[in-house]
Amino acid sequence: MKRVFSSITDGRGFDLVLVGVPFTFLLALSGLPLLYNILMSFQEVDMFSLGSVIRPFVGFKNYVDLFTEPETISILRNTIVFVVGSITGQFLVGFALALFFWINFPGASWLRGLFLVSWVMPGLVVGAIWNWILSGDFGVLNFFLQQTGLMSGNIFWRSDPNFSLWAVILANIWLGTSFNMILLATGLAAIPADLYEAAEMDGANAWQRFWTITLPMMRSTIGAIIALGLIFTLQQFDLFAAITDGGPNNSSNVAQYWAWDLSFRQYDFGKGATISVIMTVFVMFAATVYVRSTRHEVRG
Amino acid sequence: MGIRRTMISIALALASASLAGMSARAEDVKLVLWSLDRDIQPAPNLIKEFNAQKNGIQIEYRQLQFDDVVSEAMRAFSTGKAPDIITIDNPNHAMFASRKAFLDLTDMIRQSKVIKPENYFPGPLKSVTWDEKYYGVPKATNTIALYYNKDLFKAAGLDPEKPPQTWTELVATAKKLTNPSKNIYGITFSAKANEEGTFQFLPWAQMGGATYKTINSEGAVKALSVWKQMLDEKLASPDTLTRSQWDSTATFNAGNAAMAISGPWEIDRMLKDAKFQWGTALLPVPSEGAQRSSAMGDFNWAIFSSTKHPKEAFKALEFFASKDVTMYKDFGQLPARSDLPVPPTGNPLKDSALATFVEQLKYAQPRGPSPEWPKISKAIQDAIQSSLTGQMEPKAALDQADAKIKSIGG
Repeated sequence: MKRVFSSITDGRGFDLVLVGVPFTFLLALSGLPLLYNILMSFQEVDMFSLGSVIRPFVGFKNYVDLFTEPETISILRNTIVFVVGSITGQFLVGFALALFFWINFPGASWLRGLFLVSWVMPGLVVGAIWNWILSGDFGVLNFFLQQTGLMSGNIFWRSDPNFSLWAVILANIWLGTSFNMILLATGLAAIPADLYEAAEMDGANAWQRFWTITLPMMRSTIGAIIALGLIFTLQQFDLFAAITDGGPNNSSNVAQYWAWDLSFRQYDFGKGATISVIMTVFVMFAATVYVRSTRHEVRG
Repeated sequence: MGIRRTMISIALALASASLAGMSARAEDVKLVLWSLDRDIQPAPNLIKEFNAQKNGIQIEYRQLQFDDVVSEAMRAFSTGKAPDIITIDNPNHAMFASRKAFLDLTDMIRQSKVIKPENYFPGPLKSVTWDEKYYGVPKATNTIALYYNKDLFKAAGLDPEKPPQTWTELVATAKKLTNPSKNIYGITFSAKANEEGTFQFLPWAQMGGATYKTINSEGAVKALSVWKQMLDEKLASPDTLTRSQWDSTATFNAGNAAMAISGPWEIDRMLKDAKFQWGTALLPVPSEGAQRSSAMGDFNWAIFSSTKHPKEAFKALEFFASKDVTMYKDFGQLPARSDLPVPPTGNPLKDSALATFVEQLKYAQPRGPSPEWPKISKAIQDAIQSSLTGQMEPKAALDQADAKIKSIGG
C-alpha cells in the first residue's frame, strides 16, 4: 500500500496520473462524442430514438443517400472554396499587417492591440453588421463601390448565387485577419535581430532578407496558423446563419452549416452525423499538419 | 456522452431529491411547463395568475429559446424527463402527436365546458389534430396579408382604396409602383431559405388549388411563376431571397417598397416607423372568385403523454383558454378563436388592420399536418430558391420538390 502511495507521489505512478488526467478528460469530452458521432452516422437516428444508443443499423445508407443528393457536390465544393479563400485572405492580409506593424512606428503596438477587437466580437454580431454592409439596395459596400466609380449597378452580394459565398468569405476574412496578424507578429518578434544585421552587412536587400530570413524562420508559425485557420474556418457557422442562411439555393451552403441544418432543422441526426464524420477526416488532416509544424518549433 | 448523461442524471436526481424535500409539506400537484414566451408574453403571466389561485396545482415555468424548443422537447421525452405541458410551433405538432408523445385530449375536450372545438378557427384546430383526434389546444395564431402604402398609390395614379384583388392586378400594380430612380420596389416579401420562405409561399400554392402533397400542380407552378416574374422584373428586391419577413417589411416602413406581405406582428412597429398612410388587404387570389388561403403561424398548447397528472394539466390548459378573451389586450397576440371579437384598441388604423387579419384567419391553413414537416418544408424552400435564382424553371423545380416529398412519404 505504501509503495503504491509513494509511487503516486514520486515515481512512475505520478507520471501515469499526470498523463491520465488529461487523457481521461480528452476521452470523455472529445473521444467518446467522436465515436458516438461515427456510430450515429451508421444508424437511422430519429428524434425519438435520440436518447438511446442502440438504434437501427443502416450500414452506409446515410453516406450513399448523401452522395446521391443533387446539392452534395456543390456544397462540398463550396466548403473547399470557403476554406481556401478565407485562409488565403486572412493569411495574406494578416501577414501584411504584421509586417507593417513590425516597422514599429510610434503607437504601433497600441494599434495592433486595437485590431484584436474584431477577433473579440461574437460571430453573430459581426454577421449582422456585414449583413448591412453587403445588403443589395442600401448596402455600404455598394454605395462605396458606386461612389468611387468602380461599378454602376448594385451587386446583390447576399442574394446573387455568384456572389453569396464570396460575401461570407469577405466577412470571414475580416473576422480572422487580426488573429492571424497577432500570431504572425509574435513569430516575427522571435526572429533574432542579428540575423538581419549580418544579412544587411553582406549586402542583402529588403526583398532578399524577406525571402531568405523572414519566411524560413517563420515556417513553423505559418504552418501552425494555416492549420488553425483550417479549423477555425471549418467551425465558422455564425456568419452563415447571419448573412445568407446558406442560400440562395445552397450557393453559399457549406458542410458545417449543412450538418446543422440536417440535424436541427430537419431532425435527420444520422445524416448530420455523417457530414460531421466527413468533416472530421478533413480536420484530422489539418491536425496532422499542425502537429508536424509545431514539432519543428521545439527544435528551434 | 455516456459519462455526461450519468453526470446529468446524478445532478437531476440530487435536484429532484431536494425539491421533493421542499415540497413535501405542501400537498400541491406540481406541473412543469416549457415555452418560449418572455416575461411580457402570455405563458409566464398566465402561470403567475394560475398559481395565485392556490387550487392545489402549482406550475413551474421554464423558458426555452426558439431554436431549442423541438430538440429540447425530443431529448427530454426520449429520456423520460419531459415537462407536463409545452407550447409547440404548429407545424411541429404532428411530429409529436403521430408518435403519441402528446396526450390525446379528445375525451377531455368533449367534456370540457371551456375548451370547445367549434370556437376555434379551422386552421389552428387542424394543426392540433392528428388522425381525427385532438392532441393539443391552439394557443394563439397569426397569418399574413397585404400591407400597402396609400401615399405611393396616389403618387402612381392608383386608387388608394382599391388594393389589388388578383395576382394579375398585384403584378400590374407592383409594376406601376416600382420606381428604381427613387429606390422604390413595387412589393416586398420573403423567399428566404428557411421556414419563413415556406410560410410565405404555401398560401399562394394553396390559393392555386395545390397542397403540399400536390406541390407541382398547375396552380402552384403558376404561383411560383408569379413570384419569379416579380423578381425577374425587379418589382421586388433580389434580397427577397435572403431577407426575413421582419427585415423585408422594414423596407416597406422606410418607404422603399410600396406593398408588403407580412403578418400582424408588424402593426405596432409600422404605426411607429411608417411616416405615410397605409392600409391592409386580403392576400390577392389567382383570379376573381378563386378560393382564398393564407399561412398560419404561432404556437399550440400540448400535454406530454408521459405526464403523471393529465387531469391537472388539462385544468391548466382550460384556465389558459379562459384567458383568451384578453389575450390581444394584454399581450398583443391574436387568440385562435372565432367566437371572440378582437376588442377595439382605440386606434382606427390598428383596428382596421386587425379586422383584415381576423378575416384572413378564416382562410388560414396549417403547414402539414405531417410528422415529416421539416423535410417537406425544406423541399419546398429548395424549389422556391432554385427557380427564383434562375437555375431551374418553376415547373421543374416543383417537380423535383414533389418527388422529394413523395419519397419522404409526406
